[in-house]
Amino acid sequence: MISSINFYLLGYALKAIYRERAKNIFIFIVFILLVALLASTLFLSSAMKREYMQVINTYPDIVLLHQRAMQNSTYDATVVDEVLTIPGVSNAVGRVHGKYYFAKADRVFTILGIDAFENYANPLLQKLGEKYNLKEDSMLISSSAAEILKRNYYREYFNFIKEDGSRKKVMIEAVFQLPKDITNANIIVMSNDLAREIFGYTPSEITDVAIMVKNKEETALIARKLQEQFINAKIILKEDLLRRYETIYNFRSGFFLSVFIITFFTFFIILYDKLSGPNSAQKREIGVLKAIGWRVEDILKAKLYEGLALSLSAYLLGVVVAVIYVFFLKAPYLKNIFLNNYTLLSDYRLELHLDMATLVLLFFVSVPLYVAATIIPSWRVATLDADEVMR
Amino acid sequence: MIELKNVVKKYGESFALDSVSLKLKEGELVVLKGVSGSGKSTILSLIAGLLKPTSGEVIVDGKKISKLPDHFAALYRRENIGFIFQKYNLIADLSVADNIILPLIPMNLPKKRVEILLLEVIRSLDIEEKRESLVKNLSGGQQQRVAIARALINKPKIIIADEPTANLDARLSLEFIELLRVMKDANRTIVVATHDPLFFDLDFVDRVVEVEKAKILSCL
Repeated sequence: MISSINFYLLGYALKAIYRERAKNIFIFIVFILLVALLASTLFLSSAMKREYMQVINTYPDIVLLHQRAMQNSTYDATVVDEVLTIPGVSNAVGRVHGKYYFAKADRVFTILGIDAFENYANPLLQKLGEKYNLKEDSMLISSSAAEILKRNYYREYFNFIKEDGSRKKVMIEAVFQLPKDITNANIIVMSNDLAREIFGYTPSEITDVAIMVKNKEETALIARKLQEQFINAKIILKEDLLRRYETIYNFRSGFFLSVFIITFFTFFIILYDKLSGPNSAQKREIGVLKAIGWRVEDILKAKLYEGLALSLSAYLLGVVVAVIYVFFLKAPYLKNIFLNNYTLLSDYRLELHLDMATLVLLFFVSVPLYVAATIIPSWRVATLDADEVMR
Repeated sequence: MIELKNVVKKYGESFALDSVSLKLKEGELVVLKGVSGSGKSTILSLIAGLLKPTSGEVIVDGKKISKLPDHFAALYRRENIGFIFQKYNLIADLSVADNIILPLIPMNLPKKRVEILLLEVIRSLDIEEKRESLVKNLSGGQQQRVAIARALINKPKIIIADEPTANLDARLSLEFIELLRVMKDANRTIVVATHDPLFFDLDFVDRVVEVEKAKILSCL
């Protein structure tokens, strides 16, 4: 492969880029920015979709929520026994969870209650429940939650402000690392009773009921039975959550469309400029090269190297910029468009994952187009008589 | 070695050459004399395979180059022709060395071979110390030498020069003529198109061919 590369021709092509450096630097920068913008948008949406799907996979098949005046309310824990009587339900767990706003840090914590005697649908809780024996006034916190607390001088305990305004001191029992499939990073796990105390619930109140079904194909049927039995309930199916994602995605498709239109518009201006053809000096140069024995294919090969060197390096740099922006800098500004403020306060994580389909798509809408726009005008000139080109 | 047989070249209805026949022997130096637009540059382009005649034949070393497809015409030029243009036609933003090796680039020769060929021509033309200079920073005479070096690097059998002294002062023109003598001594076939009288009485010029209004008037 390397032996078939004509390095003199490559050198000539690179020097041709250098000779037109002002114009080419401009194209190079615009190219990088366009690829970076498109790649960032696609990486972000793809990473979020991927992580969302992973999170949904940890969800129970059905969640039963109590509704009062069309607002989410709580159930009494006895509802779990009623749910378990419905045929097809394999397990039902009354959950106590909610969000806690830590004003000083301007961050939201997700508080998850656990009970040692219950079998959880959530694998994280299952694992933590097995590993730690939570004491009455202690909690387990995720590493990112620990980081926030540490920044605010809470190293061993945290003072929660309860529903009634009083304080509740809770000791930090342990810090755990979140598995990759959890996107919401600021998690605090504590006993159900402690969670109830902080949220101001009565000792038998639960936030919702997580339901697992034996046969997944019967989920809809069981959901119907639940709805008949619990008239005021809101029933959320795993499938509904998937559909909700699609809705959010479609809602933001206007933004995608705007980004694509702006990007392609700019890119086509560059292509149009290239396609408008070589200037008289470039035409003369092609004529001279033909006169001294270059074949049309030699000229086109030089132009291919020229176009590839510029567009491929700009493409790769654009992708690197997008990776750094999205996965290392956590996509500032752009993320605000995709996530609402509430989710942002929860420190949404973005795991590095390069979507090959995105990379291939970006490559084909940029590099070959630019290379073609470099070659075609030169091909038009090169196929004319050298004598005619130089005259 | 070179033969033009009843060559006609037309652009639309106007004749650039009208039934021109001419024979050149190997090692001969022929000067094509005539005013601008007389047709002498067209003869050079036909010999170089840059143009195809409307009718008639151009034969070089027994090969009908007027019938060669573009691809083979380029190969023919690469192996046989050294071109010296009126305005040098160098690439101003490239170095002397980069300009001179241009005809070798498509051959993809080993680096060592390219270096040997380059050193040979730049030494013979006394421009070795300028090899890394940009062409745009050279004087007219130095640029002319670079153009000649580029024409000679592939060791062509035929040298074609189109108005080579048109942009040179008297001293540099004489310098070019000296270089021409060296090329002639190396037994190269040389065709020069010019209207510079300096060429017409040179003792090493074999023939002066007068071209006027697309026809050959006389062959002295």
